[in-house]
Amino acid sequence: MARRKTRRASRRMKDKWKSKSWYTIVAPDMFNGAKVGETPATEPEILLGRVTEVSMQELAGDFSKVHLKVKLKINAVRGGECLTRFVGHDMTSDYVRRLTRRRRSKIESVFDVRTKEGYKIRVKILSITNKRINSSIKRSLREKQYEVIKEMAKSSTLSQFVQKMISDGLAKKIKKECKPIYPLKTVEVNKSTVLSVPREEQVDELIISEEELEREKEEREEEIEEEEPVDKKVSKTDVLKLFQDIEGVGPTMAERLYDGGFRSVEDLTSASVQELKEVEGVGEAFSKRIYKALHPEE
Amino acid sequence: MAKWGIAHVYASYNNVLITITDITGSETISKATGGMVVRQDKDQASPYAAMEAARKAVEEAQEKGITNLHVKIRAPGGSKSQSPGPGSQAAIRAFARAGIRIGSIEDVTPIPHDTTRPKGGRRGRRV
Repeated sequence: MARRKTRRASRRMKDKWKSKSWYTIVAPDMFNGAKVGETPATEPEILLGRVTEVSMQELAGDFSKVHLKVKLKINAVRGGECLTRFVGHDMTSDYVRRLTRRRRSKIESVFDVRTKEGYKIRVKILSITNKRINSSIKRSLREKQYEVIKEMAKSSTLSQFVQKMISDGLAKKIKKECKPIYPLKTVEVNKSTVLSVPREEQVDELIISEEELEREKEEREEEIEEEEPVDKKVSKTDVLKLFQDIEGVGPTMAERLYDGGFRSVEDLTSASVQELKEVEGVGEAFSKRIYKALHPEE
Repeated sequence: MAKWGIAHVYASYNNVLITITDITGSETISKATGGMVVRQDKDQASPYAAMEAARKAVEEAQEKGITNLHVKIRAPGGSKSQSPGPGSQAAIRAFARAGIRIGSIEDVTPIPHDTTRPKGGRRGRRV
């Protein structure tokens, strides 16, 4: 009797497993959209919010960063692919334990900073000195560290900042800046968490099924066919790329120029300094600079 | 693409719990415990039980297409023992023996920065 019951239960479990299909998890652009792995689910809705931990070794093939784990959260599903966003990073506990020794000071510090776009990130720094130090020195070291991190976060976007945290850029800077106060033996960005996402950057949790994706693709193809005679319509991203080829124009400025009504490089060439200046977010110095870049003979 | 999973091995001095999940940890693929494979309670944490349990869990996982595993070892932690029990080593060996490729092995024992008072009272456990 009991056996029959368990057998039935196991069969039910098997069936449930069969109804699941595998979805590929894709890392965000800052990690070049690498494929992270696969996760099974009965339906795409339940994939949202799943978090996976990937070591940097798997993500970038960097063997010196095996102890570094990046946390990625699924926020959209497109067909069989799950798109993710960065939610933080961490270090394996054995690596951290290896760093700490007797008769040395461990300075742990926690800072909340904002990036250029407004992401709020909590960064934890672990630094170790060669000898035991006073808490007053520790305090001033922390103050210095906060200055450095705050400045760095303010001047970089999320992906740049994450890159700096992961690639030692931030740790090295801190080490250098703190040296006049007290030389630090090791500095590691121990952990980070994305606390809040600015409203403009928020992606609606969306699900696009395989069929919809197909349909979208077909529609796009049809559109292209229709529009072929009119060769003028170039997509925004292409124009932005062309703009960025101009000396002195970065992604932000390209965007501003595009929003200001310029649709091609020719438009820019024909515009005067005055006209360029009228675009929102473009100053006098900048407009003169691009004018010069576009009219090298003058 | 080789399918990865995570083997969560909880090895205490009283039992071994093995759960194999996908890489997000939200889908359980298979599970087995020391108590499922031995008759006597005192053997639940033994290396043999861990080996059998690991084999059992891996077989089911392999059936479902998992070929590679990351291993996360865990002891009770907190105010209890912070070193994994005797089953943890045996479990890892059993994974490898079953033909699974092992990625990373990590200790994920929860370690408090402060702690709650360990049970047993001021004079300790009186046996």
